[in-house]
Amino acid sequence: MSEQALEKGQARCPGEPSTQEIIARDRVKAPQWVTSESYQFMGDEDVTIDRYIDPAYAEKEYDRLWTRTWQFACREEHIPEVGDYYVYDIGKHSFIVTRTAEDQVKAYYNACMHRGTKLRPSGTEGSATVFRCPFHGWTWNVDGTMKEVLCDWDFPHVNKSEFSLPEARVELLAGFVFINMDKDAPSLAEYFGPEAMSHIEQWGLEDRYIVAHVSKIIPANWKLTMEAFMEAYHVLETHPQVSVSNADANSQYDTYGDHVNRFISSLGVVSPHHRGRYSEQDVLDQFTVGDASVLEGADRTLKEGETARQRMADMMRDMFSKAADADLSKVSDAELLDCFSYTVFPNTFLFPGISLPMVYRFRPVADDHRKCYYEVFFMHPVPANGERPEPACEEHLTEHQSFCEAPSMNDGFGAILDQDTENLLLQQQGLEASAKPGITLGNYQEIRIRHFEQTVDKYVNS
Amino acid sequence: MTKEFQRFCAVDAVPANGKKAGRVNGTPVLVVNTKGKLFAVSAVCSHQEKFLTAGRVRNCRITCPLHGAQFNLETGEAMCLPATKPIATYEVRVVDDWIEVAV
Repeated sequence: MSEQALEKGQARCPGEPSTQEIIARDRVKAPQWVTSESYQFMGDEDVTIDRYIDPAYAEKEYDRLWTRTWQFACREEHIPEVGDYYVYDIGKHSFIVTRTAEDQVKAYYNACMHRGTKLRPSGTEGSATVFRCPFHGWTWNVDGTMKEVLCDWDFPHVNKSEFSLPEARVELLAGFVFINMDKDAPSLAEYFGPEAMSHIEQWGLEDRYIVAHVSKIIPANWKLTMEAFMEAYHVLETHPQVSVSNADANSQYDTYGDHVNRFISSLGVVSPHHRGRYSEQDVLDQFTVGDASVLEGADRTLKEGETARQRMADMMRDMFSKAADADLSKVSDAELLDCFSYTVFPNTFLFPGISLPMVYRFRPVADDHRKCYYEVFFMHPVPANGERPEPACEEHLTEHQSFCEAPSMNDGFGAILDQDTENLLLQQQGLEASAKPGITLGNYQEIRIRHFEQTVDKYVNS
Repeated sequence: MTKEFQRFCAVDAVPANGKKAGRVNGTPVLVVNTKGKLFAVSAVCSHQEKFLTAGRVRNCRITCPLHGAQFNLETGEAMCLPATKPIATYEVRVVDDWIEVAV
C-alpha cells in the first residue's frame, strides 16, 4: 500500500520498528499499560495562536479553565501531620491545602473573611494549630470552622457557623493532592477516565518521595512551554547529544479521553535518523540517562549478538535495585529504560518510568501571559526500610540561570532542560511576529499538542 | 559586651528533630536539633512578636505557627512574608553533655 493511500494520521516512520515492536523484543516483558495503543486522528487544521499571545485569552483561561479543572496542588508528603499545610496558587487564586485528619485533606480559599488578607503567604508551607489572620487576628481552626473574632460584640452580624473558610474540592490519588474550584466538576476518576486511571493506579507513585524540586521562570506562555515536552520530534535538532540512542521518530503517542495523553519514547535503540551510521556498541557508548555517574565503572563492551538496549536494561535493573534496595527483577525493561511522559490536564506531567522519574508542573505567572513557572520534581522510591525522607525543598532559578545551576540537578539532565527551554522565548516572540495565524502540527508525532489544545478550547469556549 | 556561653539545658533534652525554648539572661532562646546539628535562635518571630516554639522545622527553616513567616535557622534570615526582618541567631556548643548558648 502506498503512503498516499493511508487514512490521515495512519502514517508512521517508514521502514522502522514501532515502539511496540521494540518493546516486544525485551527480555522482561512489559505490562498491559505499556503495550496498549490509543491513537486517534483529531484533524489537521492549524491551531490558532491567540491562545499564546493574547492577554485576553489568558483572562478567559482564568475564568473558565483554571476554575474548573483538577490540579495537582501538592503531594501528601508535604503535609504528613494534621495541621501541616501547603499554599497552592494559580494566578490570583490561592489555597491553603491542609491535613485536617489522618485521612482527610481540605483546601481553603486563602483569604481572611474579615477584610481579605491572605491567611498564609504564597509559596510557603508549614504547620498550624490555627489559621490566624495577621491583621486583626480573626482565627479559624484547622478544620476550617471559625474560632475567634476579636471584639465580637462589634460583629453581631457575624454568625460563626456561617463563617467557616470556603473550600475547594479535594481528591487524593497516588500520593498527589488534587484540588478543583468547580463544585459541579466530575470526580477525579471520571475526569481521567477508566483507562488512564488504571495506568496511574498501577505505578505506585504513592510510594515515591520528592528527592529534588527545581523551579524556574520561563519567558513563554505556559501552554507553549508544556508543548515543548509533548513530542520527541524535536530531539534530533534540539538534543543532538542524546538523539543517537533514542527511538525519536518512532516514538508512540496516545490519547485518553479529554484530559490525559502520553508518549512512549524508547531508549537504547538507534534513532531512525541515524540508521546505518551507528553500531549497537556506539549506541551503548553514547547512552546517558538521568544520573549517568551511577554507570561509571560498568562493563560497557557488548558481546556478539547482544543489543545495547538489553545491556542497558540489565545495567539499570542492577543499579536501581542496589540504589533503592528493592527487588526489580519483575520490572520490565521498558519501565526501567524508556521515557513515559503523561500529560494530566491542565498543567502536570507524570513520568512513571524508573530511570526518568519526574513530575512537571506548569503555571502561568499571574498578570503576564508571556511567562510561566515551571517546576521539576524528581521522585525516588521510598527506601525499603519504609522511612520516608522529607520532601526536598524547592530550589528556585531565575529566568536567565541554567538548570545546571540548581544544586540537586544532574548536569546531563540540566543541559537537556536548558535545550528544551532556551528556544521558548524565540518561539513566543516568533508567534507574535508571525504572518500566519495558526501553528501547523504533525498528525501523529504532535497529536498530544492537538489533543491538549482541543481540551483547552473546550473549557475556554464553554 | 562579650558574649559568654551559658548552660542552656542537658543535651538529652533536645534529641534529633527536637527543640526546646528557654530564657538566657532574660532573652527567649529556641534551640533546635535538625539535620544532625544544633541551632540557637531567638524564640520570638520578628513579624509580630509571637513565639516560634511550636513552629515546624524543615530543611533548616522554622515556620511561625501563627502567621507562617519562615526563618533560616543558620542565618536567621526571613525567607517569606509576612516577616521582612531576620531573627537573632546565637552560637551554640555542647560541653560535658550540656548545651551552651552565647547570648
